[in-house]
Amino acid sequence: MDKIFVVFKWEIQKLFSSWRKTVALFLLPAILLMVALNIFPLLINYMSTGSINKKPVTVVGAPESFKTFVDETVNARVYTYDYMSYQEFSKIVEDKNSFHKQLKKGMLVCYFYSGDPNIEFDQEIRAYYDEISHENTEAVSRAVIYVAFDENSLTSQARAEQFKQGVLNDYQDSLIDTLGGNYAIVGSSLFETDSFNPITDFEDYRTTANTAAARVVPGVLMIMMYYCVYSLVSDMFASERDRGFMNKLIMTPVSRRKIYAGKILAINVIVTCSTIITMCLLFLSSWINRSNDAMSLLPFGMMLTPTELLIILGTIPITILLMTAMCISTVFSLNRMQDITVNLQLPLIYFLGDFFLQMFRGSRPVTLEYFLPLHNSLELMAESYLAQNKAWHVIVIYLLNIAIAFLVFRITFRKEELK
Amino acid sequence: MIKVVDVHKSYTKDRETIKGVSFEVRKGQIFGLLGPNGAGKTTLMQMIATLMKPTSGQILIDGLSSDKDLLEIHRKIGFLTNEIKLDPMSTPNNLFNFFAELYDIPANELKARKEESFARFGITPFADKRFNELSTGMKQKISIAISLIHNPPVIIFDEPTNGLDILTSKQVTDYLKELKDKGHAIILSTHIFSVAEELCDDIAILVDGRIAAQGTVQELIKQAEVETFEKAFFKIYVDNHVE
Repeated sequence: MDKIFVVFKWEIQKLFSSWRKTVALFLLPAILLMVALNIFPLLINYMSTGSINKKPVTVVGAPESFKTFVDETVNARVYTYDYMSYQEFSKIVEDKNSFHKQLKKGMLVCYFYSGDPNIEFDQEIRAYYDEISHENTEAVSRAVIYVAFDENSLTSQARAEQFKQGVLNDYQDSLIDTLGGNYAIVGSSLFETDSFNPITDFEDYRTTANTAAARVVPGVLMIMMYYCVYSLVSDMFASERDRGFMNKLIMTPVSRRKIYAGKILAINVIVTCSTIITMCLLFLSSWINRSNDAMSLLPFGMMLTPTELLIILGTIPITILLMTAMCISTVFSLNRMQDITVNLQLPLIYFLGDFFLQMFRGSRPVTLEYFLPLHNSLELMAESYLAQNKAWHVIVIYLLNIAIAFLVFRITFRKEELK
Repeated sequence: MIKVVDVHKSYTKDRETIKGVSFEVRKGQIFGLLGPNGAGKTTLMQMIATLMKPTSGQILIDGLSSDKDLLEIHRKIGFLTNEIKLDPMSTPNNLFNFFAELYDIPANELKARKEESFARFGITPFADKRFNELSTGMKQKISIAISLIHNPPVIIFDEPTNGLDILTSKQVTDYLKELKDKGHAIILSTHIFSVAEELCDDIAILVDGRIAAQGTVQELIKQAEVETFEKAFFKIYVDNHVE
């Protein structure tokens, strides 16, 4: 056992002897992924709105109920708001050309009108609910919310529709609770019990963020793990054999299996640490991302319970072990360095495909998928983000992947020893 | 000390690389293996060094067989090939310490061995330099120092002076003579006739996986009926090579 640690220590020391290697394995992939994840939504945003920065929605005559709704609702805070009075707005509209130009540039105006300039919007709604709570079934509200946009621009139209669906519909539904008065108590069972409970708010964020994370993070981690494993196997096994250094190690009075075990342990520890660093950076990426709109790949509030975290932390080294077994088997079955490099890079295409499949699939995995080595790791991590773990999934996937890894190691090393 | 008995090796079913090679090397003897590229020298040396298994035949090191006593044999062999390239970011010091741990060299002995070995090859000033900053000759000297870290009674050197300048080559050949005088059994493969003539007590000329001729330099010259060892080699090769 001590010789395994001698080889392990040597490999770790070798890695840290070159800062380039250290950065390439520990930080570079994580930082690149984080940058990519943040740039991608900006790009989509630019493609859909023509602007990288989100333009604020101009809100004219915003009632108190709307301001409160925005403060308390996660989805409403996706937008920034530029509040203005009717007088301020009429000055802008006076110059028609300039107003049209602004609409063409993507300006979105949300105009609250109670139907009577002397009555406030909230007052009109309250009066309406009051009427119907007194059984005046013919009561009609004159209140209207206008949304102004450039009808010639598809992106403007889409933005207006998104705003209507994502914010105004919910706002309308909330009015019954905030302004419904007697009607809300008599006619509706809706009531708030936890508006002051911050946990509920976090749960809202978690629901949005974890759903997005389940699509993105497992695939990212799989690609990142494979990249590290294949680089290290290539260096510790293929290059060392090519350089003749592996023979020097084998010629020592330490069995081949112990030498390989030391190297495999080093690969597992290094890649596990690197993956955990990436995971932390992905968490950071989510928590510094103040938006949680549909375009954001990692919206604000990604969170895992201790059990979910433990399942993922268990999945990582097991997945790395299986990837290492696959890569070592490739190295030992080929002789030429170029063939090894090409064959080690090929699975990256598979992991990339699996990543996109996970990102865009609309269905739940079928049972067979839990028995597909490596793909099952991705599904297990995705389940953890969605809080849908089942004990048998965890047990089957852990045991199956460990068993396959050891079987591949056994066959590979036996073949190597018989040469 | 080294006994090779009727060893065969095939990589593929239809082609034999080594065809029934037998020889013996005693303590205090340098045995030379000469032959053109592809004759099977490296394969044969790797089999003696236990890096490869013969298809048939037997190789005994100090009476031990690699089937039963592999790790014990590793304690008795020092193997050096000119193909070895050291990790560019490591230093001689680190590498020596690493191999000392693998060979179970006690800490109190390690310091003395390292000092003696580094001083002999002039490595001491470069002990903490990275390999990518060192010359080819220096790297080869470090490789030799590491191959012999455990003071093995059997030494296998595959073209140890290849690519070295005259001064370093001389240092290496002098060291081999010294090891021979100390009673080590040495197998040496080389392409350089002068090295073989100067060092080897017994030489086997390997042609197409077979020993075409074996003996001292004088015996080989006599057998080929020519004036020089170089001419003897070529004559033996031409007489035995099958197109």
